[in-house]
Amino acid sequence: MTRVQRTMWGCLVVLVCLGFSLAVAQAQEDEAFIQYRQKVMASNGASMGAIGDILKNKLPYQGHILIHAQDIQRMSTAIPDAFKKESAAGETDAKPEIWKEWDKFTAAAEAMGKEAAELAQVAQSGNMEAIGAQVKKLGEACSNCHKPYRKPKEESYKNKP
Amino acid sequence: MSLPGSCCGTRSAMEHASPHPIMVFSVLLVWLVALPAWGDEPSAIQRGKAVLQAAGGCSCHTDDKRSGAFLAGGRPIKTPFGTVYSTNITPAPKTGIGTWSDTDFLKAMTQGVGPDGVHYFPVFPYTSFTRMTERDVQDLQAYLFSVPPVEHANKPTELRFPFSWRAGLVVWKWLNFQPGTLQPRPDQSAEWNRGAYLATALGHCVQCHTPRNLLGGLRAKMAYAGSADGPEGELAPNITPDEATGIGTWSVADIVWFLQTGFKPNGDDTQGLMSVVIENGFKHLPEEDLRAIAVYLRTLPPIRNKVVKKDK
Repeated sequence: MTRVQRTMWGCLVVLVCLGFSLAVAQAQEDEAFIQYRQKVMASNGASMGAIGDILKNKLPYQGHILIHAQDIQRMSTAIPDAFKKESAAGETDAKPEIWKEWDKFTAAAEAMGKEAAELAQVAQSGNMEAIGAQVKKLGEACSNCHKPYRKPKEESYKNKP
Repeated sequence: MSLPGSCCGTRSAMEHASPHPIMVFSVLLVWLVALPAWGDEPSAIQRGKAVLQAAGGCSCHTDDKRSGAFLAGGRPIKTPFGTVYSTNITPAPKTGIGTWSDTDFLKAMTQGVGPDGVHYFPVFPYTSFTRMTERDVQDLQAYLFSVPPVEHANKPTELRFPFSWRAGLVVWKWLNFQPGTLQPRPDQSAEWNRGAYLATALGHCVQCHTPRNLLGGLRAKMAYAGSADGPEGELAPNITPDEATGIGTWSVADIVWFLQTGFKPNGDDTQGLMSVVIENGFKHLPEEDLRAIAVYLRTLPPIRNKVVKKDK
C-alpha cells in the first residue's frame, strides 16, 4: 500500500469510529427524551387513575377531582414540547405517525386539555352525574390520541417474555 | 284539576254528544307524557339492542376501519388459518338476512348452521351463543330486523386448506361444540348466574381471551388465560384472577369501571379491539349487569400465564 492509500484508509477508519460513537451518543440522548416524555404521560395516567378511584370506589375525595383535572390540563400544555424530538425507535411505544401528522397530534393534545379544563369547571358544581359524564369525555380525548399515535400496551416493547 | 274551557263538577264529559276536543287533547297529552314511564316494559327491539350490546355490539360485523355501514359485514378477521370476512346481518333482502325465518336465525345462532344447511366457521362464536335463551335470540333478531338494511355482498373466506373445507366442520363441531342453553347453577347467587350468562353466552369473552389448539378449538385448561394470537392478530390479555399475570389485583369496582370507560386501575386506557367492544357494547350495559360479569370473572380459576406479543 502507498502512503496515500494508508492515510486514506486511516481516515476512513477514524470516520467510521466517529460515526459509530455519534450514533451511540444520539441514542443515549434520545433515551433521555423518551424517558422524560414517558413521565409526562405517566403523570396524566396517575391523575386519571386517581379520578377513576374516587368515582368507582365512591371515595370521600370529590373535592380532589378539581385538583387532578387541573393537573391534567396543565400537563397537556407540556405534551407538544415533550414530543418534539422525533424518536420512535428503541424503548418507546410512540408511533412515527406522531411526527408525520404533527398538527393532528398537537391538536389532539389541545383537545384533551380542553376536556380537562371543562372537568375542572364541572368538578366545582358537585353534580356527580355531570362530573361522571365529563370524566368519560376526558377519557375519550385520551383514547383519541392514543389510538393513532401509541402502540397498544399489549404490543408494547415492555411486554417482553 | 280543572281544564280550561271544560265544565267542572256540573256535567261530566260523558254527557257530551262527542268528546270535547280539549278532553281528547288532554288525554293524548297525558298519554304522551306517561309513555316514557310505561317504558318499564321494554319492547323486543329494545331488549334485542341490549342483547347486542352485551355481545360487544357485534362489532365484528361492522367494518369500522373502512367506514363500513353498521352491521353490513365485510370486516376482515385475520386468524392463524387465514382471513374470514364478517357477514351482512342487516335485514337487506338480497345480501343480508332479510329473508331469514325465525328458525333460520335460531339455527344460525345456536347451532352454527346457515339457512342453506352450510356449517359456519367458528370464527362466528356460535359455540358461545348456543348458550343463549331462545327469547334473547328472538329479541336480538327483532333488533337486527329494525336496523337500516344495507345491501353489501358477503366476501368469500380466504382460509388455507384444509381449514377451508366446510365438511371438516362436522368433525370440528363433534370435538368442540356443545349445543344448548346455559343452565343456571342452584349453588350460586342470582348475581353470579347473571354474570355467567352475560360473560359466557353473550359477551363470549372466552373466545378472544383463550389460546387455541392446532385445530382452532379453545384450549379449555387455559380458559380466559389470554392469547398472543387473538382475533385480527391482536394480543388478548389474561383475565383470570391470577395476581401476577392476570387481573387478580382488580376489584369488582375496577372491572366495572373498565367496562364502562376502558380505563384500567393504573389510569391507562385500553386500545384495539377491546376498546371497540366496550364502545359499541359493554359501556351501555346497566351497572348491575357489569357488576354481575365482574363477580363471575373473579370466581374463575386463576391461571398463571404471562402473555407476550409474538414476534411478527
